[in-house]
Amino acid sequence: MDSISLLMEGFSQALTPINLMWVVIGAILGTAVGVLPGLGSAMAVALLLPITFSLDPTAAFIMFAGVYFGGLFGDSTSGILLNTPGNSSAIASTFEGHRMALDGRAAKALATAAMGAFIGGLIATTVVVFFAPVLVKMATAFGPAEYFALAVFAFLAISSVVSDSVVKGLMSLGIGLVLALVGVDGPSGTPRFTLGMPQLFDGMSIVVITVGLLALGEVLHIASRIHRDGTAVRIESKGRPRLELSDIRRAMPAWLRGTAFGVPFGVIPAGGSEVPTFMAYGLEKKLAARNGDTDFGSTGSIRGVAAPEAAANATAGTAMGALLALGLPTSATAAIMLAAFQQYGMQPGPLLFERSGPMVWTLLASLFIGLVVLLVLNMQFAVLWAKLLLIPRHYLYAGIAVLSVLGVYAISSSIIDLWILLGVGLLGFMMRRYKFPLAPVLIAVILGPLAETELRRALTVSEGNLSILIDSPVTMVLYGLLAITLVITGIQHVRHSRAARSTAPKFDADRLGV
Amino acid sequence: MKTTNDATATVRSAEDYPVRITSFWSGRSELIVPALVFALAGFLTYGTATMDVMGTSIPGPQFFPTIVCVLLFVVAAIHTVQILRTRRFPQEESEGQNADFSTDLLGDLADTERSSIYGATTTPSATGKRKAYSDWKTLGMTVGAIAAFILALPVLGWILSAAGLFWVICRALGSRRPLFDLSVAILFSSVIQLAFNAGLGLNLPSGFLEGLI
Repeated sequence: MDSISLLMEGFSQALTPINLMWVVIGAILGTAVGVLPGLGSAMAVALLLPITFSLDPTAAFIMFAGVYFGGLFGDSTSGILLNTPGNSSAIASTFEGHRMALDGRAAKALATAAMGAFIGGLIATTVVVFFAPVLVKMATAFGPAEYFALAVFAFLAISSVVSDSVVKGLMSLGIGLVLALVGVDGPSGTPRFTLGMPQLFDGMSIVVITVGLLALGEVLHIASRIHRDGTAVRIESKGRPRLELSDIRRAMPAWLRGTAFGVPFGVIPAGGSEVPTFMAYGLEKKLAARNGDTDFGSTGSIRGVAAPEAAANATAGTAMGALLALGLPTSATAAIMLAAFQQYGMQPGPLLFERSGPMVWTLLASLFIGLVVLLVLNMQFAVLWAKLLLIPRHYLYAGIAVLSVLGVYAISSSIIDLWILLGVGLLGFMMRRYKFPLAPVLIAVILGPLAETELRRALTVSEGNLSILIDSPVTMVLYGLLAITLVITGIQHVRHSRAARSTAPKFDADRLGV
Repeated sequence: MKTTNDATATVRSAEDYPVRITSFWSGRSELIVPALVFALAGFLTYGTATMDVMGTSIPGPQFFPTIVCVLLFVVAAIHTVQILRTRRFPQEESEGQNADFSTDLLGDLADTERSSIYGATTTPSATGKRKAYSDWKTLGMTVGAIAAFILALPVLGWILSAAGLFWVICRALGSRRPLFDLSVAILFSSVIQLAFNAGLGLNLPSGFLEGLI
């Protein structure tokens, strides 16, 4: 097979000592941000971007690969030990994982999670190796209308289908699109919304926006809450995480079922691993009820941890495939990875395999190496990682604030960028305060320019005839799917809001006027 | 002062639910978001209308911004109506919730009760104040520290201003060891300065310490 020889070449590139070092650094950083609640791989990559400018792109991406998977390995640790998942991708594995920890089986839960993440990631990455060339071939037939349809699909799926409120999701999307519009318009050379400032002609830096929203926004949000919220109680994990053969036998079907949920979801722009992890958890719950498994929901079932963890990493694996082959980010983290490629002047998509083939295959090979490194790091040193949770929160967030300003200043030594950063950070705080989703902003900032270019290109070709946008089979399928999902979501939203209204306490202004 | 003589609904009194409706704005502070979005859409409309269009391509550079403008105006209007119809109070149980994902959707998928998706944190707040409301003092100190850092950076240089930023945020977030924090802060900023200058070859401003180090 062609893919295998290319991959072997990638391995020979990735297995040099210096590149191995980058994988390990990435894996350590990724696990660390995953373990710490509130931080994730998206934020870690955003903070690392400016610092890695002086590295050669291959080294940088090898490191990002470690961070990318590492965040998903670490996030279950704080979920299991503290009952506060490090990321929303670990919520589903927290349910049973924390029960296992309360039952004195914390080490076993951690090991199941790490092994599940490894298996999910491994299978998904293998799928990518064989299917990425197929996807590339498919994508070369895509014209402007198809790309526009893909972008619209991603916009609406992430802002309306999966987010908590459709209106808030669309507002986030709109804000992101506005941020993406600032700067000189490529096709015509017209400066847009720059307020006449030459610093804005290149547009707002993606680094400033992501660091502001994800890192500084989080710091400000924590500042507004730290004296309000209580701290969680930590469960000590004793002993080295080890899995007996009987545990493996019990968990194996769940790992595989979880992977089966995760693999297809990587290529669907549904915002990442949350949906498949919950689906995998739901299935295990139903199966446990049918088989009379009494562990589930009481002392904690190993399968309830295994399936969601495998699903999360399987999603991340195929999401990387969709990103490399189609240039389509399906989650916020993938969007940051796409931004990272753009920072280095590369555009993921079919052409990437042609132009930077060796780099892509090295990256894929380092995903495999990263998984092995992460498995060792997480199985052997799980107890050590849990110690990270002892870092006082004030040092952690003060450090993140300093790293944010450092990263932004490092890109262009510009004081104006720092003020923009503070503004975007306040925006991120406001959005968190009022429960606005952040993922649509990131997707819009990163896919917005592509959507605009492809839309205008399509309409130029058709001389303004809108029917070109829906005229091909691919676009019809995409818009059809989108319409069906939107209708189903609409029905669900109405049903839930009715249910909520009937149970909600009624506020009576006259009687409450205290 | 419980008002329980209502047979039809669970009307709660102030003691049950710490919500006070004292003015038009109670539970409607969220109006600031649509207000900002309207301002943004207005700016966008003005910018689109007065744009110096170069080139003659059709559709031109004003095409996409127009679509975005319409989107922003429509959703901001709907949002305003929603807030005016139902007052929204910060709810303790929704804290830590991720707005990127619909809790209902995830609950349906996992066949779980909505309330159990985000683990309950039942520890009482340290200050005894209402947990759900933002702590503006700490937030203000943090934002002030960052603003001060940006102003001080060209004058004081990286080491001093970054150490100051770190120290003030530590204080704001509740650290009780100012002297120890100070040494951590200076160590942290100096290590960054060294790593950047020596390792990555990027220059951070050294300010008035220029000649000394």
